[in-house]
Amino acid sequence: MLEVTFIEDLGLIIVAATLFAFLARRIGMPSIVAYLIAGLALGPLTGLVEMSGSLALISEIGIALLLFLVGLELSFAKIKDVGRVAVIAGIGQVFFTAVGGLVLCGLLGFGVMEAVFLAVGLTFSSTVVVVKLLDEKGELDSLYGRIAVGIFLVQDIVAIFILTFLAGLGGAGSAEVKLDLATVLGGLGSAFGGMILLLLVALLSARYLLPRPFAWSANRSEVLLIWSISWCFALVMGAHALHLSLEIGAFLAGISLAQLPYNEDLHRRVHPLMNFCIAVFFVSLGIKMEIGEALAEWQTVLVLSLFVLIGNPVIFVWIIARMGYGLRTTFFTSVTVAQISEFSFIVVALGVSSGLVGESVMSLTALVGLVTITVSAYMIRFNRPLYEWVLRWNLLRPFVPKAVLARGDGPEDEDPGAQQLEGHIIVVGMNSLGRRIAQSMSEAGHEVVAVDTDPRKLEGLSCRTELGNVSYRAVLDHLCLHRARLLVSALKIDSTNDMLAYRAREAGVPCAVHVHDIREMDHLIDLGTDYLMISKVDGLKRLNTKLKELASLPTARND
Amino acid sequence: MTEVALLLAIASLGYGISRWSGIPAIPLLLGLGMLLSFSGLVKHADLLTKGSFGDDPVIFVLELGLTVLVFASGIELNPQRFRRQRRPVVWVGLIQFAVMGLVGYFAARALGFSGMEPVYLAFAVSASSTVVVLRQLQVSQQSFEPQGRMVIGVLLLQDGLTIATLIALTHFSDGIGWLAAGYGWAIVMALAAWYLQRRLARWLIERSEGDEELMLLTILTILFLFLGAAHLADLPVVVGAFLAGYSLSSFPVSGLVNGLILSLTDFFRAIFFVALGALVVIPGASEVSSALGLAVLVILITPPLVAAVAEWTGLTSRAAIESGLLLAQTSEYSLILGLIGMQLGHLSGGTFAVIAMMAVATMTCTPLLSGDGVARFLLRLHPLRRRRRQPALDLENHVLVLGLGSGGMWVLRPLLSAGVPLLVVDDDPVVIAELDLKGVPCIRGDGSDEHVLERAGADKAQLIIASMRRLSDSSKVMSLVRGVPVFVRVFEDGDAEAVREMGGTPISNSEAAVDQFQKWFEGRFPRRAG
Repeated sequence: MLEVTFIEDLGLIIVAATLFAFLARRIGMPSIVAYLIAGLALGPLTGLVEMSGSLALISEIGIALLLFLVGLELSFAKIKDVGRVAVIAGIGQVFFTAVGGLVLCGLLGFGVMEAVFLAVGLTFSSTVVVVKLLDEKGELDSLYGRIAVGIFLVQDIVAIFILTFLAGLGGAGSAEVKLDLATVLGGLGSAFGGMILLLLVALLSARYLLPRPFAWSANRSEVLLIWSISWCFALVMGAHALHLSLEIGAFLAGISLAQLPYNEDLHRRVHPLMNFCIAVFFVSLGIKMEIGEALAEWQTVLVLSLFVLIGNPVIFVWIIARMGYGLRTTFFTSVTVAQISEFSFIVVALGVSSGLVGESVMSLTALVGLVTITVSAYMIRFNRPLYEWVLRWNLLRPFVPKAVLARGDGPEDEDPGAQQLEGHIIVVGMNSLGRRIAQSMSEAGHEVVAVDTDPRKLEGLSCRTELGNVSYRAVLDHLCLHRARLLVSALKIDSTNDMLAYRAREAGVPCAVHVHDIREMDHLIDLGTDYLMISKVDGLKRLNTKLKELASLPTARND
Repeated sequence: MTEVALLLAIASLGYGISRWSGIPAIPLLLGLGMLLSFSGLVKHADLLTKGSFGDDPVIFVLELGLTVLVFASGIELNPQRFRRQRRPVVWVGLIQFAVMGLVGYFAARALGFSGMEPVYLAFAVSASSTVVVLRQLQVSQQSFEPQGRMVIGVLLLQDGLTIATLIALTHFSDGIGWLAAGYGWAIVMALAAWYLQRRLARWLIERSEGDEELMLLTILTILFLFLGAAHLADLPVVVGAFLAGYSLSSFPVSGLVNGLILSLTDFFRAIFFVALGALVVIPGASEVSSALGLAVLVILITPPLVAAVAEWTGLTSRAAIESGLLLAQTSEYSLILGLIGMQLGHLSGGTFAVIAMMAVATMTCTPLLSGDGVARFLLRLHPLRRRRRQPALDLENHVLVLGLGSGGMWVLRPLLSAGVPLLVVDDDPVVIAELDLKGVPCIRGDGSDEHVLERAGADKAQLIIASMRRLSDSSKVMSLVRGVPVFVRVFEDGDAEAVREMGGTPISNSEAAVDQFQKWFEGRFPRRAG
């Protein structure tokens, strides 16, 4: 029998995550908070699970896939849109928060080294937490979502520089700190050069390397999936070799594939795999949190948490509002940065391991992390009511130029998700039957969306097309099934047709389904299918008519 | 992370070769994994025999991959799907498993294997590969044909039998009491899985409907609860994974679950088989020759055995031969058994290499064997063929209907009522029995077989209507019979064009279905005036 320890640990993590996620759903708690609590229950509270290399590996895969998915949604045009604001706001916020954090920690009585490490820890926001929350809300592709992701990636690069700098600091204690300037400069140069190199690889691959092989394999969905994930891991390994973060590698891999026509389909395919790994990541984060010592210093934790929860967004509001964005986008983007990141733990751990700061700082950072991640998850989830509340009390007035206040929500601030399909006909399966239906309905003036897993079968159609496997619920959600006028399946796959009929019934949408095997049609009737396209019988009827037309044959009676 | 990236890169290469060559991906993944091991790039061949795995990423891939793959095959095991083919499924499945098992056992003994090793090799000979055959059926678009359903049913039955035998293997040395206890627990778990499948699964899954993440976690929780139960009952974890899958196999739960775990299955399948290949040690000459010998046994004995049983249960000769050819390969479950056997100390690394090489060889041959040409050739060698050959029927100026299938009475009714002489040729015994009852002239056989056409007086017919499943069959009819108009029922426009080019008249089912659909649509959604 295979060794079960790892499976046991993973099983406990999954079961606990599910239980807490169910409870969280009942009270409207974001799932990542539920996962963190599950982790605390399994780790610090009961000691049932200890972190192992395999759990860490799943977590890393989860982070890589999460950022890969973010990249998959971004075309070069979209990145260009938010590049300027991401760089200015990202670097500006790091500067202001670091200075503010340093002053605050000094006022709270920390030593210089402790203040430096804590301030750096408070500076960075969690890409994983925010991307996960935006993904849950379906707003990764919104303007504020793109700006936030851009800012986080800029922060990631700055983080690498800072990590390189801190790694250059050595000494047994704060009194003997020395700076190895050559190491630091070398590290910074290599990080910068590595970033440029990886970016070039991603850009050139997107244009010259990837399109042809991916087009060649596009009709084999499993090939496309494995090639894409392999590409993601190849760039992750490239990033690792260049001393960059795995997030950057995965993100660039996603961007390079985002330029291909299969990006949305890939996104839907990778999503469940990411969900599994990222749940393990968040529970593991909870398991690793050593917060015992910090509970005694709750006042300090409270002050530092408030600085992150309020100070960071205020700094962002101040910067972004001056870059021409409307109030809503400014506010929504700023709210996303109100937490510290897993990078903060790495920085402080580096300080502890090099003897520059004590263990208590680590414990303090963990508790601040727990508090800020939890509260900011609510802030992001309920950003709309929060925005209304802030507006009602004029809380943005001191930080926003008058012109922006007067303009209010700009045209770029439209609520994401407003462009929805409605009253359309979804036709699944572009075999000859599906193509004919899609074409004829489209020519008759109906809004038709044709769906298939093979991009070649979608070519030449005059209606809107969607590449995707309808076995994934996300595909039908994306096509707004619940608002459709009719769902038509021309597939010859009985099990998928059954599922489509079931989905249509659940959504209250009429459906017409192709019956490939007449003996299986009872099930479709039980599922309430509105119309059965029995092509074999229809063909026979046509044959019958043809036979009647033949002069050499006796005329058949009408049947 | 480096090891996972490496496994993925090799899997990508394997999938690329598979896409290019048409060879199933699994033997390629396995073979590339073996090359990885032989090259010395990874040193995992001795991991399983060390007794402690530590935190090795390759072992993590094997553990999780094994669990996910077995779970996924359990989800497909809904007996309702095979209710119409129950008889052939049970007979073919059981007889192939038992007879080929015995053949494999004695062949392994004859090749010098001893102890428990012949038992594991017997499994490698007896059961066929679900993943490879499903892919092959998908390529030939036969998954939902009666023959395809029968083959899938056989495979899933064999998977279940393998899991049941695994319990015996793990408790073999513990005595009869432990063995009975093992099966007792397995039965209790199976009952729990059955109850979950019938009563609870849908309710549970629908609680999380609308939240993809929560639903996935719920599915995985069911999986891990079964794994936990198997662990507590001292059963192999794959038993828990299989039963967990079965508990989610009812409609619509299986569809909902498949929609979520598809990418997990694809991901773990790819890296699992590469990792498994990486465990294989470099084989010696005797191991290579044993593997080849056993592979030849699988390829030579499985097709006639399966064909004989399938034909006896009611399939036509051609469908039976095709089923036999499709099932002539080693199952991925044999590799899983081999993996567990190595851990239990029943198998040496060399014997595991024999199983792996058998799998690579037989799986690679599957697409070659399951081509149309091989089946036609074997059909000519059918021992009963000469004896069955019957004189031509005294027919002239008749309408010859080749392949009727269900619903074919639509076309017969007007011809019959007009008194047109006709003859139906169909390979489905049920259809022939029905026609006999109705007094419709018919013969059972393959409509593309030249002897059958000769007997049916095809060259003297005034019209031939071909409604056979494969366009290649209709093409053969058109090439054999000249001067007689042939109507060919087709579905795809490309096929219609091919029929026209060969001088036939295509009757497009899809075109006809669209006309009917449009009539329905206009009635259901009438256009508003103005």
